[in-house]
Amino acid sequence: MSTDLKTGVEIARPSVEVVGDLCEFKDSRIEGIIQQSIARNEKRAHFYDRVATVTVWTLSIIGLGILAFIIFVILYRGIATALTPGFIFGKPQALKEGGGIWPMIVSSFYLALLTIAIVLPLGVGAAVYLTEFSREGRITRLVRFGADSLSTVPSVVFGIFGMVLFVIYFGLGYSLLAGAFTLALLNMPTVMRTTEEAIKAVPHSYREACLSLGASRWETAKKIVLPSAMPGITTGVVLTVGRIVGESAAVLYTVGLFVRKVPVSPLQPAAPMAANIWHMYTEGALVSDWMRVANGEAAFLLLVVLVLNLGARLIARIYQKRLGMVS
Amino acid sequence: MAREKYIKMLLMACASLSFLAILLIFLFIFQESLPAITRIGIPNLFSAAWNPDKGQYGMLAFLIGTLLSTLGGLLIGAPLGIGTAVFLDQVAPSRMANVIRRGVELLAGIPSVVIGWFGLIILVPFIARITGSAGYGIAAASVVLAVMVLPTITALGAETLRSLPPELKEASVAMGATRWQTIRKVLLPAGKEGILVAVVLGMGRAIGETMAVQMVVGNSSQLTLNPFQPTGTLTSNLVTNMGEAVGNFRAALFAQALVLLILSMILIVSIRFITRKKEA
Repeated sequence: MSTDLKTGVEIARPSVEVVGDLCEFKDSRIEGIIQQSIARNEKRAHFYDRVATVTVWTLSIIGLGILAFIIFVILYRGIATALTPGFIFGKPQALKEGGGIWPMIVSSFYLALLTIAIVLPLGVGAAVYLTEFSREGRITRLVRFGADSLSTVPSVVFGIFGMVLFVIYFGLGYSLLAGAFTLALLNMPTVMRTTEEAIKAVPHSYREACLSLGASRWETAKKIVLPSAMPGITTGVVLTVGRIVGESAAVLYTVGLFVRKVPVSPLQPAAPMAANIWHMYTEGALVSDWMRVANGEAAFLLLVVLVLNLGARLIARIYQKRLGMVS
Repeated sequence: MAREKYIKMLLMACASLSFLAILLIFLFIFQESLPAITRIGIPNLFSAAWNPDKGQYGMLAFLIGTLLSTLGGLLIGAPLGIGTAVFLDQVAPSRMANVIRRGVELLAGIPSVVIGWFGLIILVPFIARITGSAGYGIAAASVVLAVMVLPTITALGAETLRSLPPELKEASVAMGATRWQTIRKVLLPAGKEGILVAVVLGMGRAIGETMAVQMVVGNSSQLTLNPFQPTGTLTSNLVTNMGEAVGNFRAALFAQALVLLILSMILIVSIRFITRKKEA
């Protein structure tokens, strides 16, 4: 017992001995309980860790499985039902069976070539401006905002925009050129970004060496920076070709859906594979073997895209090896 | 150096094209949809009745179709994507991680028509068999969209986790935390913004995805919450009808494109917002 100094009321205060007793008590019993619960927690933590590990393994394998399944189904169907030289190099049929897809294959690559010819100078130019000719400021922010926005615009919106601007307003009609302009805008952000990354990977000492010899910024960019960034730019271009060949929504109402003959002039309408697959499915009931044509076309398109993807990686690796030998 | 100056201006013109393009897109789509706003009117445009022959141009059914299929796609695709990202960065042995990373890149490269075609010949018949419905609808669209958002979410999610400072993980492990505790309590909270951006970008892809959805959603204009009933989305309706639409019908379609554009702009702005908050 002790006395509160202000009020004079006696209050109970635990003595030192009592605290000692409590400690004793804790030692013998609570400690055990705490130990047990720590062990249980640890066990539980390890159990959850195991469960989580199994879960993420499973999720990743599901993802990989979906990919493998899609590729397998599409290729298997195509090869089993359609893909023969006669089909690949054959003429399309609008009203009877037995059509091939040669004009569509040509259309796809023709469109890709035209698009790259337009988008590459623009995208590389923009990237050079952003990295070599400007400091971060209002203009670069605006440019980046534009690129970010462009890359989220749905491709079908690009399609109808291209239809209004290039097909109707500029009077190009359904044509490879109208489609190429549309797809150039669609792919501009990607080309810009991949080029920018490739340029940023070029060591600063290269530029400094060149500038110190009296070269101008543009000479430095042209003779030193761009050649050193070539591997990255090339990889980006090959991947972009893959995207162009696979694009359909932006192509339907700018280039066309079906042609009988191989397009020659860029002002002619054409029918890239991706658009034609969709055409087969929506209006294909005109020919009784539309399913076969679409199967074969999907398989061929997938093969092209796979080859382009692997090719892009191969190019990157070859360049890397060569650079590795130099330095 | 006059020449240098011209070149700089030329390069600047290339760069400003990206901004110019987005302005032009807005301008043209808005201009073409203007008749819809003045002649058809906003109430009609957002009603539930879609019957162009009778002058009813309500896009509510498509708007709901777009939102539901996007939500469904994210519900399946986001856990798969984030799980795969965690696996890639924290769990996978390096060879396995390489295989997965390449697989994800390939998946991103598969054209949407091809995925749509896959949905049409495999997924729709499968859903039809297990549910007894026609197989077309939001459910099929959601699965297809999940496949399409998976690469986006995985790649960006893994990049976010990779860019976290290694000290975070080291400190957590040094305190005796298990791998899962480290991931759940340290790494995922630290990378919250980046993962959110990944999901929002996936959402953008899902909202704008056209061909794959159009091929499996059934393309009816009925407003339905049943995932196994055929319905439509903004994109699928656009691409199905754009070919033959004229007059008010055409203007109504452009109004739907304008809604799509505004939706994707909202996403871009919200990404800016998320990342700016992180920087502040």
